[in-house]
Amino acid sequence: MEWRGRQGVPVMLVFALLVVFLFNFALQLSPDLQADLTAGLLWVSLAFASTLGLNRSVSLEQENKAMDGLLLAPVDRSAIYFGKVISNFSFTFLVGLVLLPIFSLFYQQNMFKPLLILVIILGLGAYTSLGTLLAALSIQTRTRDVLLPVLLYPLALPILIAAVESSRGILAGMPISDYQSWLLFLLAGNILFSAAGLMFFETILEE
Amino acid sequence: MPKKPKLLTLLDILCLILVPAALVLILFFTPTERVMGPVQKVFYFHVSAAWAGMLSFLVAAVGGGLYLAQRKMKWDRLSLSAIEVGVVFGLIAILSGMIWAQPIWNTWWVWDPRLTTTAIMELIYLAYFILRSSLDTPESRARLGAVYAIVSVVTVPLTFFSIRLFRTIHPVVIATESSGGGAFNMTSRMQLAFFSSLFVFTLLLIDLIWHRYILAQIQSANQEIGI
Repeated sequence: MEWRGRQGVPVMLVFALLVVFLFNFALQLSPDLQADLTAGLLWVSLAFASTLGLNRSVSLEQENKAMDGLLLAPVDRSAIYFGKVISNFSFTFLVGLVLLPIFSLFYQQNMFKPLLILVIILGLGAYTSLGTLLAALSIQTRTRDVLLPVLLYPLALPILIAAVESSRGILAGMPISDYQSWLLFLLAGNILFSAAGLMFFETILEE
Repeated sequence: MPKKPKLLTLLDILCLILVPAALVLILFFTPTERVMGPVQKVFYFHVSAAWAGMLSFLVAAVGGGLYLAQRKMKWDRLSLSAIEVGVVFGLIAILSGMIWAQPIWNTWWVWDPRLTTTAIMELIYLAYFILRSSLDTPESRARLGAVYAIVSVVTVPLTFFSIRLFRTIHPVVIATESSGGGAFNMTSRMQLAFFSSLFVFTLLLIDLIWHRYILAQIQSANQEIGI
């Protein structure tokens, strides 16, 4: 569905990279500090970039009243929700996959670890399932997509903290027992927020 | 204009008597803590305010759920009132905690899990007002506000249990077997003052939410006749 626009992912990617550069200048990172902050930087850039994608995914539907068409379709509303979550997740995940080699280059650290990819999947899953719900909510307001970050960031912060903590543990090569509670936390976030989306997506869209 | 219920007047009077009474109990009845000194007395109102704030956010979520189930505006008013009062109590908890932390931790603020989750909780509920103010019809305000109040309530248990889940320097008050050394022991006089201030703040919370609820009733009545 989003494929017709085809600008989404490149824009998100460039934006994510810009965030990384901005942080490097703003914080004047020294090389030994960089190693500690890689996990945090990765997640901040992913979180910012996916906000763009989330907003796009709902504003596109509003443009030509396409959402009304979708709502007329004889499918369950939750199917629309999960369709949106899956597309948002895939695009953000794609951005994450491209960011990994770039981060590996910039921060001289191998980011290709299967566990890190698992954390990215879990973290982005929870983040986008919450984000899709809130994007549908904020698009209905007068301020439109401006509102999404205000609603999303504080609610998603626990997810981001868990994702950063477990990514940091993986990158530092700590044993899995040190951060497995964070992984479980992420898993719980996935279940919780997609259940919330399932329950409330229909309520949000009704006119 | 809705008439003020008698029970509410009674509750007003009760709060007017009991809040100063709790203060007297805290200031003169409880012993001064050996290590921390008089500043420890902040603790009674601090915990009570935090408790009242979290309780009101729970009430708001229940109100939101009832609104979605029954679609009656009274539940939306309850939800809004509870969040508004809850944000104030949360702010009191944070500010009083800062007053305590300055001499004890030697800083106004640390990025400790408890402090951070409480601050996030405040931000989340502040965003609730932004959400409401950017919606045009009372119906959409109620519907989307209800969804938001229910989704955001996940931060309340997170904040409550943060001192147990994570490594933190914030003291654990309601001690259990597992919390062990972090908990501090209250003397029976301290316990009496503590539980009475919890009780008084709960009463105050009900009283304020009720007043705010009546205010919301007047507001919507005014809107209907176009003032």
